Amino acid sequence: MITRQTMTRRRVLKGTAGASALAAAPGFLRHAGAAAPIRIGIPTVVTGGYALLGSQVIRTCKLVKKLTDARGGLLGQPVEFFYQDTQGDPATCVRKCQELVERDNCRILTGVIVSSEAAAMLPKLEEWNAIFISHGNGDGRLTAELFVPRFFRANTSAPMGARALALYLKDAPEKKFIALASDAAWGRSSNTAFEAQIKKVGKEIVDMVYAPVANKDYSPYIIKILQSGAQGCYVALQGDEARAFYSQATQYGLAERVQFFTEIVAQADIKVLGKDAIGLMGSSRYPLTYDIPQNTAFREAFMREYKNEIPDWTDGEMYQALMILFAAIEKAGSTEPGKIAAAMEDLEVTSVKGPVLMRRCDHQGENQGFVVKVARNDKYAEPVGEIVKIYPREVNTPDCRSSSFSK
Amino acid sequence: MTFGFILAQCLSALSQAAILFFIACGLTLIFGIMRIVNFAHGAIFMLGAYVGLTVLAVTGSFLLSLLLAPVAVGGIGMAFEWIFLRHLYGRREGGAYLLLTFGLAIVLSELIRVIWGPQPLASGIPDYLRGIVVILGQPFPLYRLFLIASGIAAAVAIWQFLERTRAGLLIRAVAQNAEMVHALGTDVALVRTGVFGLGCAMAALGGVLAAPLVTAFLGMGTNVVIDAFVIVIIGGMGSFAGSLIGSILVGFVQVLGAYYFQDLALAFMYFLMLIVLVIRPGGLLGKED
Amino acid sequence: MSGKAAGCALAVVACALLPFAIPQYSLSVLIEALIFGLLAMSLDLLVGYCRLYSFGHAAAYGLGAYAAALILTHLQLPLPIGIALAVLATTLVAIPIAWICTRSTGVSFAMLTLAFAQLGYAMLFRFRDITGGSDGITGIPRPPGPWGITWFQGKIGYYYLVLGCLIVSYLVCRAIVRSAFGAVLSAIRENEPKAVALGYDTRLYKITTVVLSYAFGALAGALYAAFAGFASPELFFWLVSGRALIMVVVGGAGTLIGPILGGVFFIFLEHELSQVTDLWPLVFGSIFMAFVMFAPEGIWGLLSSRFKPVPGIPSAGPSDETSDAAA
Repeated sequence: MITRQTMTRRRVLKGTAGASALAAAPGFLRHAGAAAPIRIGIPTVVTGGYALLGSQVIRTCKLVKKLTDARGGLLGQPVEFFYQDTQGDPATCVRKCQELVERDNCRILTGVIVSSEAAAMLPKLEEWNAIFISHGNGDGRLTAELFVPRFFRANTSAPMGARALALYLKDAPEKKFIALASDAAWGRSSNTAFEAQIKKVGKEIVDMVYAPVANKDYSPYIIKILQSGAQGCYVALQGDEARAFYSQATQYGLAERVQFFTEIVAQADIKVLGKDAIGLMGSSRYPLTYDIPQNTAFREAFMREYKNEIPDWTDGEMYQALMILFAAIEKAGSTEPGKIAAAMEDLEVTSVKGPVLMRRCDHQGENQGFVVKVARNDKYAEPVGEIVKIYPREVNTPDCRSSSFSK
Repeated sequence: MTFGFILAQCLSALSQAAILFFIACGLTLIFGIMRIVNFAHGAIFMLGAYVGLTVLAVTGSFLLSLLLAPVAVGGIGMAFEWIFLRHLYGRREGGAYLLLTFGLAIVLSELIRVIWGPQPLASGIPDYLRGIVVILGQPFPLYRLFLIASGIAAAVAIWQFLERTRAGLLIRAVAQNAEMVHALGTDVALVRTGVFGLGCAMAALGGVLAAPLVTAFLGMGTNVVIDAFVIVIIGGMGSFAGSLIGSILVGFVQVLGAYYFQDLALAFMYFLMLIVLVIRPGGLLGKED
Repeated sequence: MSGKAAGCALAVVACALLPFAIPQYSLSVLIEALIFGLLAMSLDLLVGYCRLYSFGHAAAYGLGAYAAALILTHLQLPLPIGIALAVLATTLVAIPIAWICTRSTGVSFAMLTLAFAQLGYAMLFRFRDITGGSDGITGIPRPPGPWGITWFQGKIGYYYLVLGCLIVSYLVCRAIVRSAFGAVLSAIRENEPKAVALGYDTRLYKITTVVLSYAFGALAGALYAAFAGFASPELFFWLVSGRALIMVVVGGAGTLIGPILGGVFFIFLEHELSQVTDLWPLVFGSIFMAFVMFAPEGIWGLLSSRFKPVPGIPSAGPSDETSDAAA
């Protein structure tokens, strides 16, 4: 008799097996048959300010398609990705998703870059009969105030990034902190979470600073940080803003006076900053050097395919989101969005970031927390983030439907 | 609130003003001569940054990039004016210029993405500009001092060019009364081409100088073009001195706004413009429209 | 003249039948296209009929959208009433804006309108508790109307709502520009000092036109908020103003119909091009540049030249007179 326990174990095993097969399959196996493809919509940013992140989403999806087709597809069907350009604008994103759903019959959506695009899509998922898995949207509210049943977040959220850092900083020598964030929703989310967490571990936060979205000259903020007397500075900026900030901070010699802790460590930033990035500490949404079989397989497949490009956090998180999605599809035995959603709840997958549990109550994937420090590494052409500490997923994930942590 | 702190803030504001000045000065020159609002100015700024970084990567010389990028982009600007803009001078409505320069902005931004890709380019401060100067106990980047110096040098150079040279005289004359200058035998069309090229070259130079500060990335032109418009309006459309004063004012307002009123930082520049326009609708040094 | 009326009737009937002839996904794009057409037409009142270029029309759009978002989400009033109230609220806000902006003309006017739009954009982040900050307001409902009517809650119903608003707005605007009021606007456009000398309070006329323009722009914004279900800061950003201006110029300024066509053309072009190639902005921008060089009177100019008799003396170039005749 098949007991509940056996079913659960099988679910986990199947999920893990499916996910690792995805990464480890050799390329010469038979290709997927001519069955109708499984359609996945990717409304991402091709042109516009976030084009870099969009290009990373697309390259990882292409890699996944190659690997999946090589091992015979998913449920025996080939996987097909439909890419659309949202320009990072919520109105365009909703329009493109409408077309993906209605014209191309893509009811599985992922790869959305900007949190405000995601927020605009959430109320429409029911009407579209679609399912949306976030690979990189950080705003805490998406699984809290804005929760809808058809939305799942596979990635580390902004509060989770802040949490891992705050836990690490409990034992750090720095006592006074200042927090700098972008005035976007995820930046606010991140700073608020960091403030709450850092106070909990008994440290002092001197000021919370917000720079307008798309601000480029950080000198007033740098001067503020210098004046504040803080020993540590939490930085919740990403992309162009982060690079501008670190470039300018280096020019002020800020790193010698204050230790930076960043919410996202991005390989693209390290590449641009070069040796100025060494010593930077932060939370990592994708730990490149994490030494587990799933990650090693992914990393090697990626670098083989993209000629020694180092996978960035978007690549790793996108891969994880797809692994979880595929595991849910296999478990459901169907591509019908409602069934995938049901299968995804309480699904546990061991992915490139370790064991992830997609919890039922708010559809947030419980991820481990990684704190890294950027250092030179002989295996790679650029410095990379070396793991300094790992926090278990139960500790790193907020309370249900909220952005705060009671543990 | 030490004197050193105040000085650091002032220098910071001036360094911002310097970059803004390069863009605004070009914009105001173009408007003064051609009465067109160049929507593509931000894209040209971006092009300058990318070309500059490429020159730096190829030759290893920052100075060469400061020289070659503005010349190259200025040349592209002149070509654009020659092929497209000059056909529009007879038209009454301003809509044609809007459309043309807006279209150019879109095309140029996309070309940059196609040629250089979405990955941002590494900033390239040469080692001799990398230092930190300690002024009254406050650290200040050497590069920003260099920016301020460049801004002053450029302002003086252009001022002298406009006041003392024959070409400058022609430009000022055309800005005042193109028909008369034409009647006196000068090829006004050539002056226009030259000024458009000069305006683009200035913006490109601003881009090369800004790149080490903010790195070169897609979309760096989008916000900067609006800032430039605001400065030119505050200073007075077509007034070179106005663009200088406007840049300094906006630089200070942005630094103060960011430091003391961070909730309203975005709005400060627009408050300033509103106040100026309500008091003097033509801008501080401009003529009534 | 009756040929023209018949043509108009035919066009309206064709629009009414469209939802059944085109696929569902295209209908979504069409609804948005019509909303932008309305926005462009509202701007044409300023640009085409007063020669006042506004760089800040996003303020009208954004105010209408956010007002509708707040009213519909918090007060749960019937949709038509919510939209009407949003338009009214924006109209009231537009009065002081118009008063300040019309102190100047030309580029100063344009920059003042931009200032207000950017201030509005900044305020959205300042009062994030009300406006939702960078995420905006999501989940805007379409509450059932007075007397329990619900036909606008579905997509086809909403299309008819937007189409109806567009047609009514067009007729109202057309009546305005053809009235005595419109005649004064024409005089102001051609020679303002003369109009002042004739005793007209030109400032009052300009203020009224700005407010009307904002009112119709707010209608477009409110319709959009209820259609998409969200209002976000991008609606206030100057890029929206720029696009609206492009739509007006490409469509043919000063014709009312032209900008509507310009808006529809712009949205469909952008949408279809981005499906075909990653390099769509290159084609997109080039098409606008081509319009400037080869079709200066815009889309309406191209279309209506087919119905005009061949002129004996070729016209010297684009001028307001020919645009007016076409409208």
